[in-house]
Amino acid sequence: MKNESFLQKQLSKQGMRQVFTILFGLIVLLVAFSIINPLFLSSRNAANLSRQIAPIIMIGIAQSFVLMTGNIDLSIGSIVGMSTMMSATLMTKGMNPWTASLITMGASLLVGLINGYLVAGFRLPPFIATLGTMTICRGIAQIVNGNYNTGAINTIPETAEAVDTFRNIFYYGRIGGIYNTVYIALVMFLIFNFVLLKTKTGRHIYALGSNAEAARLSGVSIIKTTTVAYVVSAFCSCIVGIIQCCSAGMGAMDAGNSYEMYGVAASVMGGVSTLGGTGRLIGTLVGACVWATLQNGLQFANAPVALRNIIIGIIVIVAVLLDIIIRNKKPRLISAENQEEKSSPGDDNK
Amino acid sequence: MQKDIVVMKNICKTFPGVKALDNATLQLREGEVMALLGENGAGKSTLVKILSGVYTKDSGTIEVFGKNIPVMNQKTAAENGIAIIHQELNMCPHLSITGNIFLGRELTKNGIIDDKTMQEKTREVLNRLGLKLDPATVTGTLPVAQQQLVEICRALSINAKILIMDEPTSALTNKEIEQLFDIIRQLKSEGCGIIYISHRLEELKLITDRVTIMRDGKFVTSGDYSSFTMDEIISHMVGREIKEKYPHEYANIGNTVLEVKGLNAGRLVRDVSFNVKEGEIVGMAGLLGAGRTETLRAIFGADEKESGEILVDGKSCSINDVKDAIEAGIVLVPDDRKKRGLCLNLSVRENIALPNLDELSNAGVLDNKKEEAMAEKAVKAMNIRLPGIEAGSANLSGGNQQKVVISKWLMRDSRVIMLDEPTRGIDVSAKVEIYQIMNRLKAQGIGCLFVSSELPEILGISDRIIVMCDGKITGELSREEATQEKILTLATMFENKTN
Repeated sequence: MKNESFLQKQLSKQGMRQVFTILFGLIVLLVAFSIINPLFLSSRNAANLSRQIAPIIMIGIAQSFVLMTGNIDLSIGSIVGMSTMMSATLMTKGMNPWTASLITMGASLLVGLINGYLVAGFRLPPFIATLGTMTICRGIAQIVNGNYNTGAINTIPETAEAVDTFRNIFYYGRIGGIYNTVYIALVMFLIFNFVLLKTKTGRHIYALGSNAEAARLSGVSIIKTTTVAYVVSAFCSCIVGIIQCCSAGMGAMDAGNSYEMYGVAASVMGGVSTLGGTGRLIGTLVGACVWATLQNGLQFANAPVALRNIIIGIIVIVAVLLDIIIRNKKPRLISAENQEEKSSPGDDNK
Repeated sequence: MQKDIVVMKNICKTFPGVKALDNATLQLREGEVMALLGENGAGKSTLVKILSGVYTKDSGTIEVFGKNIPVMNQKTAAENGIAIIHQELNMCPHLSITGNIFLGRELTKNGIIDDKTMQEKTREVLNRLGLKLDPATVTGTLPVAQQQLVEICRALSINAKILIMDEPTSALTNKEIEQLFDIIRQLKSEGCGIIYISHRLEELKLITDRVTIMRDGKFVTSGDYSSFTMDEIISHMVGREIKEKYPHEYANIGNTVLEVKGLNAGRLVRDVSFNVKEGEIVGMAGLLGAGRTETLRAIFGADEKESGEILVDGKSCSINDVKDAIEAGIVLVPDDRKKRGLCLNLSVRENIALPNLDELSNAGVLDNKKEEAMAEKAVKAMNIRLPGIEAGSANLSGGNQQKVVISKWLMRDSRVIMLDEPTRGIDVSAKVEIYQIMNRLKAQGIGCLFVSSELPEILGISDRIIVMCDGKITGELSREEATQEKILTLATMFENKTN
């Protein structure tokens, strides 16, 4: 009884229905993959899978923040690449990994700021603005080490130990059998979920995405709010970039390629609308799990790479399509009402 | 006697909460210009939208050329030669004249767009109206008046015999109006029937054959234009007596709370100066497009202003954005609650909290208890009827939505509340509740400034009335001296446009 009322309460919250739908999908996937290959749920693969999910969660958070404001961030993948290459290059030059990461973070946040200002301050369409910064950041990723991938980051004797510790902290280490990367992702999830649901800034983000004009006329600063969303996005992307640097032990120029789209996939599967104003980060978290589980599970099921992509593409479309079909059953009524309201006779002679 | 080409009988149409048309009737004869007159909200636009298939009627009959048309949609309307020219232009500005005229019914030859034939046909129609325009001109580069003529060309190119013009002259200069009237006369001589809607009563004498007057969704009277005097027309339009639909209470008039001096912001706010005192409701009257909404938005910092000073309680305030205005104690309930008032994805609680988050948070973290308490208080104070504060704002009735938008501003100490068409599209009882709230606010010494296009409402609850026309204030009337006729006169004091 108590359980049921808890479920009902959760379902009544805005956007939670989609979360439960995608959660159900995730469970189906986990069951299906473990039937196809019982090794899928082995503790070794579970640990591995969780470490694959972690960056997708962070990317998902990045994209969700921007999508919720009604915009999009195409530069996410390139910021990942840029921060991987920047931090790796600095480390191969003998810089302390923490200093290197801090500088990298600075550069990434700057990109976020620029994105926000271009979109909200200069009213550039977000698609165009971030397409530009996406290309620029990929260019920076290529230029920092003279258009080569970097060598190993732990070859300078003075910093080798610090680098190895750093790599352990961000990627290889475990606490209680679970990889540190997973903890990082969860902490970020908790922080940003809190920001969205419990702070002024979070409320401004939802309001802006729901109705920018109404938000503005309520005193919400469009420029500030949009910029915060892009900066959060850049922050998450940078962390993922640093994690990639740690995992590979070097910088690869094409790191993070098309991650922005993984972020969109995780977000929309979890119920975040690309039109803004709706969705929950918990949905994005589950969406990211679905995305990574598909990648990992299809690999375990021995599906060829090309086939994997096709299947994943289809599943993303079907997931969102199903949601639209379910939603349209009810709101057709509402939209008809909207229309009548809009054209109510008070509008006479307009 | 010319024959009737349109006969609409007993047309009823109800929108949620409002009866827009109540047994409305309309007749149009061949080769005549029939002016359809009435106040804002009388149902003219609704009626012609039913005729042109934009809305569907609830009941009643429509006959076109003697043929009963049970279901009128936009397709059947076009098939029966009915075309409507809206006040706002419905064109693709990036397409050529030809592209717009043949939009959606492009001619093809072997599946390929046949530009040559379309251009020729376009030229024919342009010539028919005596327009010397190249069919290949990009429509958006033309002046508004000529774009409007292109719309008329589109109507002619589908052989429209029934032409509806909804405020066609509102954006035109005198010279352009003359050109339009020449074309109307020509169409008339070709046998077209024209339904003409306009607020500029003085221009009717130039083209009108007959008038039909509507009020409150009902047919009032019709007859030859020459058989009415202008005063008769106005009194038929205005008609009703004002009853207790408009509760008004006097309050003690105190100091000036809001003073606007020499405000300029775009074409529709020119040198606007006025004030609002404690304990009074100031109504702003005028035609649509007179610049009232723009004035409020400029005061609120929502639009940029070029010059002007705004004083609250005698202190000059520098207002550059909405936040400045709110801090200075000026708030605005915008005109279109769905477009500008509410975040429809958010709950009632979240909407009420939105402008008050500073007060509801500590170091940026929201205090849920305070927020819920505020929402509960607002819902109670405004008598908003809903299942709970977590209800989605999208699902509420218009009246309750409007109350949510107003209530969010009442949860803070404001000095001036501006309301733009606060009762548009809501039912009578909700209207009265909103008037009572306004009365309560003025009793508390808050300055109330409201814009309305419904004259009875303006007359009913204002203590003072400011009338705007074409971006300027054309007059100010006290409650005692104001009449609908005086307001209408001031609202149509157009200066001769010369360009």
